[in-house]
Amino acid sequence: MRPARPLVGLALGGALVLIAPTATRAETAPTIRLFPTTVVEEIKHTGSVAREMESGLQPIIRRLDEQQKLYQESKCDGAASDPGCEQLARQLGETYLEMLQVMSDRLPDMERAVNTTRKALRTRLKRELGQRRTSWEVQEWLVGRDTRTASTTRSLARGRSGMRLSDRFRQYYRLVARPGASADSSLAVIAADIYLDLEETAVLIARTREEINRATLMEELHQSFGAITPEMLAVVDGVKAILFGEETTAAPADAAPVQATEQTYTSPLEM
Amino acid sequence: MTRNVALPRPVAGALLALLLSACNSAPQRSAVCTPPSGTNLHQAIAQARADLSAGCGHRFDAYWTALLEIGAGDPRPENRRDFSAFLEWSVDQGLLSRRQARERYNRYFGVKYVSLLSDYSVCSRTCPNRSQVLTEMQAERADKELGLLKIADDANAYRRADRLYNEMSLVLEATCAACDASTQ
Repeated sequence: MRPARPLVGLALGGALVLIAPTATRAETAPTIRLFPTTVVEEIKHTGSVAREMESGLQPIIRRLDEQQKLYQESKCDGAASDPGCEQLARQLGETYLEMLQVMSDRLPDMERAVNTTRKALRTRLKRELGQRRTSWEVQEWLVGRDTRTASTTRSLARGRSGMRLSDRFRQYYRLVARPGASADSSLAVIAADIYLDLEETAVLIARTREEINRATLMEELHQSFGAITPEMLAVVDGVKAILFGEETTAAPADAAPVQATEQTYTSPLEM
Repeated sequence: MTRNVALPRPVAGALLALLLSACNSAPQRSAVCTPPSGTNLHQAIAQARADLSAGCGHRFDAYWTALLEIGAGDPRPENRRDFSAFLEWSVDQGLLSRRQARERYNRYFGVKYVSLLSDYSVCSRTCPNRSQVLTEMQAERADKELGLLKIADDANAYRRADRLYNEMSLVLEATCAACDASTQ
């Protein structure tokens, strides 16, 4: 004789299936889950990896800047045959190779972290906004059902230039992990912004890795001649721009949210 | 003393034809169906109603454009109500369907974009036509500038519509990239 327990369980399960959605619907409107805990943690992790990379590179880049300044102040441009200048150029080249080595060591971790976060976010965006909703529904979610309160907590994450990579991810983490964030319709904007940012970052990382391979080979060749090439300077500038950004630009996330309008008239034709 | 005046036969015939045409029960067209002009929106709406109910319905769009221009000359929050009432009257008169009236009202006086109306998912319908959708939204944003800002004098609502445009552009860019990426 088959035990009755599974049947009871099945019946209870069926009853729950019938009851639960009704109760849930009554309590809360359907929500769009773009940032489950896993995605939030991935963003946090990517920020940590970026911070490690920055802290590894910062002293080297500072040294590179100092050496470059000394090289220019010593009027070594065009005087490469001078023994002192030749020595300075060689030191510069060594530091440059050191920078490339650190980047080469850290970039794979960074690439993995960025790609994992990017793929997780892509899946959420596709499923939650792309496949399950029409453009009108997405718009309604952005506007908020109650126009008097929806936009008060809204803030934009836009503004990816002008910030350190780790600071950008720290800002993203702060936006998506704050209390009450899961019910905030501005999350769609934040998710879109992070995703596009990650797409750009992934392309930059791939390009940087290629550039490191090329530059390492070139610099190893140049070491025997002790020359500073424009390519070297361009790579250093690129690394500085990607990782450290500009210090002066304010983060748009701090911009004041737009207050909802106090509407005096609502047309019966309003959609 | 009365005198009987005998009318020549052709004149009598013309008079009779004129009398008969006056008895015709079909709505009369106003002389040329000229949309209103001037600065008074109430008067303009009254004239538009009279003309449109007298057979000028085929020129509804021209009347609507004229009313928008007149409304922009006298920006007031109450204008929204007047335009809404005019559109509802147009529905009652059979000049517009209710859906057309709703879309027209919201195109000019609503924050949300009717260009985004769709029965299908973002991936399947909006993304393949994203540039066209954005172009339509841009045109609608210009109409909202006229309706919300210049006619209804509601700068806050227009700012929200403008911001919504920017947000939707960003969200669509990312969502469509996500939809495309997984099909590659």
